[in-house]
Amino acid sequence: MALIDMVKEEIIKIPVESKDKPDVLRELVQILKDAGHIDDIDAVLDVVQEREFKGSTGLEKGFAVPHAKSPAVDSLKLAIGISPDGIDFDSLDKQPSKLFFLLVAAPDQSGPHVAALSEIAKLSQSNALCKALVNADDAAEVVQLLKGE
Amino acid sequence: MSNPIRKIMVFVDGTEQSITAAQYAICLASFSGAELIAYYVVNTKAMEDLLRARIFLKDEQMEYEHDMEADADRYLNHVKDLAVQKGMSITTKRSKGSVHKEVVNAVNEEEVDLLIIGELSRIRSRRDEFFDEVDRAMRNVPCSVLIVKDDDRVWEMYQLLK
Repeated sequence: MALIDMVKEEIIKIPVESKDKPDVLRELVQILKDAGHIDDIDAVLDVVQEREFKGSTGLEKGFAVPHAKSPAVDSLKLAIGISPDGIDFDSLDKQPSKLFFLLVAAPDQSGPHVAALSEIAKLSQSNALCKALVNADDAAEVVQLLKGE
Repeated sequence: MSNPIRKIMVFVDGTEQSITAAQYAICLASFSGAELIAYYVVNTKAMEDLLRARIFLKDEQMEYEHDMEADADRYLNHVKDLAVQKGMSITTKRSKGSVHKEVVNAVNEEEVDLLIIGELSRIRSRRDEFFDEVDRAMRNVPCSVLIVKDDDRVWEMYQLLK
């Protein structure tokens, strides 16, 4: 499934409620749980946190891409969280992160996982898009922005 | 008139859609007598991009490349099994690099008459960032391309193949 096919209102939360890194990671995984995409929050959160421990996925310009592989999912799962105020995510440029794209894949789906991460990486390079996403009013608008409508 | 389809290549990337495409390719090769190739590309280009963007750590890139090599073996072996179950022979090939470039190269080198791919994303975003490598390959290969849809019907067709 292409990344664009996964962009739906049910996997988007704007604004997120969390104010720090541990909480926002949990909140992003909760999005997947609430959307019915995962059953075991802790199993998924563990691998996501484990990856973050190796090195922050907070990039520049407020973009963060937490990601991990987990047998707790049977296919690629995407959750998007937006924090207009920003959260300290230990990012590369030391600036608060505002756009969070969580991607969790099954261990035997590295190909689709890499392809999806690659698409997200390209999204992060568009300053205009990032700005528009941060200023979006609701999940519906986020979907429209990402689908280019 | 000579057979217009002498060599078919089916692109396999681990998606369900590509497995459906492989089933269809096996059926079509059986009916047409065409030679059949299954092709997988380990997307090292994307991994290099992710490393450069600092989304991947170096050891993560190596880990994913290793996983993708294992995925390539697994999916190509699965497609081979699908062919063997129907008494068909199939050649499996793989390479590393940029998916669309490798597919175009393979089509040219193998002189493929027909490239078969799985169903593409139903939603075509206008954003350039949401490009699909397989979509790009489809637009750039010199041969005809068949996009397989309706996985239920294809499964039924494959099951009925003797």
